[in-house]
Amino acid sequence: MTETASNGVISTRSLTKHYGSIPALNSLTLDVREGEIFGFLGPNGAGKSTMIRTLLGFLHPSAGFATVLGMDIVRKSVEIRRLTGYLPGGVALYDSMTGAQVLDYLARVQGRAAFRRDELVERLQMPQADLRRRVRDYSRGMRQKIGVIQALQHDPELAILDEPTEGLDPLMQQAFYGILADLRAEGRTIFFSSHILSEVERVCDRVGIIRHGNLMAVHEVRELLARRRRKVSIQWRGVAPDATTIPGLADVTVDGDRLFATLHGDVSEFVRAVASPSLRDLTIEPASLEEAFLEYYAEDAVAPTTDADGGADA
Amino acid sequence: MSMPLFARTLAWQRTRWIIVSLALFGWGILIPVFYTAFSDVIRDLANSGAFPEELLSFGSGSLFSLPGAVTLGTQHPLAIAMLAVFAVGATSTAIAGERQRGTLEVLLARPLSRTAVYVSISLGLLLVVAVVLVALIAGFVTGAALQGVLEDLPIEHLPMVFLNGFLLWGAFATFGLAASVSFDRAGPAIGLTLAYLLLNYFFEILGSLWREAEWTQEYSLFHHFNSTEILAGAVEPIDLLICGLAFVVPIVYALVVFPRRDLAAPA
Repeated sequence: MTETASNGVISTRSLTKHYGSIPALNSLTLDVREGEIFGFLGPNGAGKSTMIRTLLGFLHPSAGFATVLGMDIVRKSVEIRRLTGYLPGGVALYDSMTGAQVLDYLARVQGRAAFRRDELVERLQMPQADLRRRVRDYSRGMRQKIGVIQALQHDPELAILDEPTEGLDPLMQQAFYGILADLRAEGRTIFFSSHILSEVERVCDRVGIIRHGNLMAVHEVRELLARRRRKVSIQWRGVAPDATTIPGLADVTVDGDRLFATLHGDVSEFVRAVASPSLRDLTIEPASLEEAFLEYYAEDAVAPTTDADGGADA
Repeated sequence: MSMPLFARTLAWQRTRWIIVSLALFGWGILIPVFYTAFSDVIRDLANSGAFPEELLSFGSGSLFSLPGAVTLGTQHPLAIAMLAVFAVGATSTAIAGERQRGTLEVLLARPLSRTAVYVSISLGLLLVVAVVLVALIAGFVTGAALQGVLEDLPIEHLPMVFLNGFLLWGAFATFGLAASVSFDRAGPAIGLTLAYLLLNYFFEILGSLWREAEWTQEYSLFHHFNSTEILAGAVEPIDLLICGLAFVVPIVYALVVFPRRDLAAPA
């Protein structure tokens, strides 16, 4: 492996992992900046968990190089995990222990005081009575709460969370998003794997899209949403005007006085163009990350992006 | 070495540890009782020629003498089963079981090297094996005292009995731990370790019952723990060496293999 300079909390350079002849991560280059919430998106089997497990030393890279918090993932794995909090996907806990015992035990093994536990317990509404119950009696949501608390209770510099809201009810998801926002405000970095696009859209600053082990793109969430095609529906009084004069429209179909189309680019320019006394109704469907995501996945022939434009952060 | 993990390993086994220790202590007390009750009968049977002597023995043990009875007590299937609870059951599931349940993920997310995980769990389980062996030997001594035959039991040689016994059962324990770090599921690890134990036991018993197959005993670890000889003051260094090697080789294997294994996401 060749060591190269790194400039992110997580930096990978051509990171590759093969299981035998099967590629799981393919020359992945990525930088996650300090103090951001980075969403790592992809369907099951895309390589999200492989990436996380490689960063944490569960898997050994086949090629390439990576650092976490400036430390080599191969040589300094233990040091990295001292400063990191990890929530595995579908977290498993010690069923014979109580919730409090699990948290105490993991804090002792971590070797750092559980500074944040009380705050997390309160925000995730985990009453002391529940903490005194055995984990085997917990619902899935309660296990997930304990999973979140164990990952964050020692106030890690970097939190790596694999599908963190799995099993949380909508109210707890909101509480969890609030916790993430506060961590970011305190300068903590969060690497967040998910296939729930709406939550990535909601909480992440940037998003990386992975497919078949290839990093397809990295974007600012805001930028991605702004670039999204929107579906528009326009209704006029009388005959619809010539759609070719309206900037940014494509896939236009006209049905009587109603026009349906896809809008690319700047919304304000479009709105100015259609604004007229004959306009009866205008609907612009909000840009969804899901559509952006599906676009990437629909483009079978697209080569993976590894440059500053799409793949790695500059 | 992680003290919290070491302590948890001990706590994890606490109930079984206490039950098996008490059971082995009780079993140890019974052996001198059997000896005082049946040794004369067995000796008469042997002298009568009605039964071949090998049928009146079991493995390397017999009721002809108290040291022989002690050997019988350590080689009897009941004692093997109780000792195997930890030397096979607990060791082979220690790491593979955590992996299967998914709790190894949470543990290895802490600042622990895999070597530290292995060492902490191994030391905890080897300590448990040592304690249950001590309970068994304490039972022999207590039983001999209760039966008034303590003078037939050379107590000064008991530490060597413990050492040889610990190397033997420690060898099965380290084999179980080596299997445990090699598999993602507990089933194959238990199966392999149990097969190793049973094969050793089969060779020992087969050779003791059938003279033509006596050579098979040389290939059994059980044959290299003969309390009768040790209590007679005749310690065979080769026995200690063989059991010691069988103890150490799986440790070296585990220390090499475990840190290098890829731990993919649990299914």
